[in-house]
Amino acid sequence: MYKLELEKALDKIKEVNANTVCIQLPDGLKPRANEIEEAIKKETGARVIIWLGSNFGACDVPLGLDRLGVDLLISWGHVKFCKTEGWP
Amino acid sequence: MKTLFLEAPYEKKIQLDPGLLDYLKKNNYLRLGLFASIQFMDQLAQVKELLHEFTLITTKVPRTMHEGQLLGCNTYALNTEDVDCYLYIGDGNFHPLALVLGQKDNKGLKEVICNDPRGEMKILTIDDIKSSLKRYRGSLVKFFTCKNIGVVITIKPGQEQFRPSLALENKYPDKKFYYFIDNNISFNQLENFPFIETWVNTACPRIGFDDQEMFRRGVINLTDAMIAEKLLTQESYLNR
Repeated sequence: MYKLELEKALDKIKEVNANTVCIQLPDGLKPRANEIEEAIKKETGARVIIWLGSNFGACDVPLGLDRLGVDLLISWGHVKFCKTEGWP
Repeated sequence: MKTLFLEAPYEKKIQLDPGLLDYLKKNNYLRLGLFASIQFMDQLAQVKELLHEFTLITTKVPRTMHEGQLLGCNTYALNTEDVDCYLYIGDGNFHPLALVLGQKDNKGLKEVICNDPRGEMKILTIDDIKSSLKRYRGSLVKFFTCKNIGVVITIKPGQEQFRPSLALENKYPDKKFYYFIDNNISFNQLENFPFIETWVNTACPRIGFDDQEMFRRGVINLTDAMIAEKLLTQESYLNR
């Protein structure tokens, strides 16, 4: 029901020459993680790590991926979040 | 590390509920506050064409990238004077409930009409959050009277509000604030700190509303903590 826009993902991986990619999916797209993993591996050869945890929004990106040598995080279902100090 | 966000747009054509236009006209809703979640933004122009008989008002809040984009955290200070109702294009309740919550401090409440992309309409009203609001008001009262307050902070970069939360100390010099840090809030850990009388949430404001039951000692959001007295005394839906 929702477009994965895999071409954009593959283009970005090639553009930044990523060897290790973390993919973060909202719950509704998590069942398609294997489809994404296989496409990335086949088209770019990059290793894929699937984020198991939450994906509440662009305000909720995984921490600590740098230490694992992840070159690129691809997060589905959101657009860049413009954080403001304090609420609202 | 680079980050790429992919919006996962809805791949079918958005349908309007066959009864939507009649419903809007019947209720004399001529000025519509139009919102959509990101998956549906690329079809908003076509939706606007279908609604050409109405005045469509779209706004952009600071945290969003696009005019008309709705986030679940858009829960504060909705100026409702310019619209007769809100129309949300998208699925689920999470996002449109933000439009109801955003009116909790207003005197009147504008209907939030949700049009599912498959063409089904439903209406959210204050009844959908009545019990949450009642509990929330109770937590506001409790915050006002308690001395030992736990401030919950997340390390998520997009939600972390540690420095703004320090303003609580100046605002309430007679209270003692303890600061707790976590990634996802570990609700099952809250009871391990029995000296905390009530909690202030500084992470996503929806945690302070939607997850109230997880905070047995009550929780309010940081913004509301800073204006607790005003919120408890002004005429609003919260105080009904």
